[in-house]
Amino acid sequence: METGTKMGILLLAALLTLLFGVGIGSVYVPSADILAILAERLFGRSLPEHIPANFSVMVLDMRLPRVLLAFLTGAALAVCGAVMQSLLQNPLASPFGLGVSSGAGLGAALVIVLGLASAGLGTFLLPAVSLCFALGTVFFVLLLAAKLDRRMSNVTVILIGMVVSLFCNAVMSLLATGSPAHAQRIQLWQLGSFSMREWSAVWALFPVTVLACLYFLRYAGELDVMTFGEEQASAMGVDLRRVRGRLMAAVAVLTGTAVAFVGIIGFVDLIVPHIARRFFGAAHRRTIPACALLGGTFLVLCDLAARTFTPPHEIPIGSITALLGAPFFLYLFFAGRKDG
Amino acid sequence: MDKTAMLAVENLSCGYGKTEVIHDLSFQVKAGERLCILGPNGCGKTTLLRALAGVIPWQGSVEADGVSQRGLSPKQRAKKIALMSQFSRAAFDYTVYEAVMLGRYAHRSNSLFPSETAADREAVEDAMRRTGVWELREKLVTRLSGGQMQRVFLARTFAQEPRVILLDEPANHLDLRYQAELLESLRDWTADGKRCVAGVFHDIGLALAFADTALLLEEGRELGCGPVEELDEKLLNRLYGMDVRSYMREMYGRWT
Repeated sequence: METGTKMGILLLAALLTLLFGVGIGSVYVPSADILAILAERLFGRSLPEHIPANFSVMVLDMRLPRVLLAFLTGAALAVCGAVMQSLLQNPLASPFGLGVSSGAGLGAALVIVLGLASAGLGTFLLPAVSLCFALGTVFFVLLLAAKLDRRMSNVTVILIGMVVSLFCNAVMSLLATGSPAHAQRIQLWQLGSFSMREWSAVWALFPVTVLACLYFLRYAGELDVMTFGEEQASAMGVDLRRVRGRLMAAVAVLTGTAVAFVGIIGFVDLIVPHIARRFFGAAHRRTIPACALLGGTFLVLCDLAARTFTPPHEIPIGSITALLGAPFFLYLFFAGRKDG
Repeated sequence: MDKTAMLAVENLSCGYGKTEVIHDLSFQVKAGERLCILGPNGCGKTTLLRALAGVIPWQGSVEADGVSQRGLSPKQRAKKIALMSQFSRAAFDYTVYEAVMLGRYAHRSNSLFPSETAADREAVEDAMRRTGVWELREKLVTRLSGGQMQRVFLARTFAQEPRVILLDEPANHLDLRYQAELLESLRDWTADGKRCVAGVFHDIGLALAFADTALLLEEGRELGCGPVEELDEKLLNRLYGMDVRSYMREMYGRWT
């Protein structure tokens, strides 16, 4: 099948998933009604009589931002995963390995424990602080790796990332144990949630995701060359240190922003790139858009499962992705082993 | 300076961090020539290649095709000098054609949607036909054998259209037939007298059969340099710390 056709099908699937994601919930809203509500808001068309007034509020203020936030997060994480795997030439790598998640987690835990999150400014203070911590951690990891090994070979980066991540996690656990009152909130954040469902989060994440994806696309050629080894890439004309530094910074900003709003959601970044490559090949000019669409769709479906399986309780989204992701991870690991 | 020198290296020093590995090395490779760099493990052969390919920084002067390599952008440098290392695995499922097309990176402009030009496609097809991988173009690189993979990497190196190809033990882990094919392709490539090859080979026999000049490297310094036929046996023996010729005789003795 042609790449264009496949991409078209994927786009259609993504749009349908978004529509169902908005429609399904405690009360079902038919797709036609959703479209009518959107038409009223966007183009000022009058709303048909049979649609209850509360549908409009439910769709526009509650479900749509939540579903869009899930889609953007999935897209952001999946694209970052693909870029990290190529940068480190390791199919098991993910942006979280650089310390993005643990850093963001530490920042969030600090805000929660210090009691700053409950105040009015908490809605944006928490994401802002965790983003800063995420970036700080990545910067620290890269700095340490560069100090230890001037060429910053990917083994060094992966190892330092792991060490720093574990350390941040340990501090986070200490904070949680030290203040039992906040432990539950910290834990919840660690598993991720879209219950924040605010338009402000959508508007913050949307431009960052789009710009980062375009930035990665600009470097698609470099990424392709780099997957075959750093030394070769350098000899083939890639300005290795500069390109890698820029891409890692972009990954940190995008992952950090996503994590800051929704908490830690694992496995999307790991699984989706593999599925995307299977259908669209490994070339990044196709992998990156495919990852964005697939990752978004995947996370909207996971969120749908998270909020509809056990109403009125929500399953943390991180558990759903882990439930699906862990077996896949094992499969990858063992399939890779048989090869070698 | 000799006008026919395709690669001219003068007073080159390089290393890692504060450790200097190559000290004040000078040599030339003429157009159409094939140079082998000989020396025991750890004498700096690979470090030298890495410096020439721009992977690590260096001091001194390097000219390729009459152009000083000092201060060139990585892309400009890659248009003159290419490096082919020993066999490595591919991590992701690129097709063979895509993998060879990556060799065109240095010739591409930076844009959001770079397109393949006719020159790109021509260079790629030519390189693939030279190395006999044109028939494999739809296959995935992760499914190839070691010998096929190395031919694909050679095609990618040709597609880069450099004037100088540096080889870092390219024939390692290859069966005899693939070794022979690989070296034959490289010999053809230098045959038009406008390009040259400088390489490190694990196997001295292979090196001397392939190259027409040899550079002997001892602890990062030149021990000798000249045509393979006139190679000073005493120097070679000193370099490897053994009687190389009688060892070779003994090893290949049963074939004569």
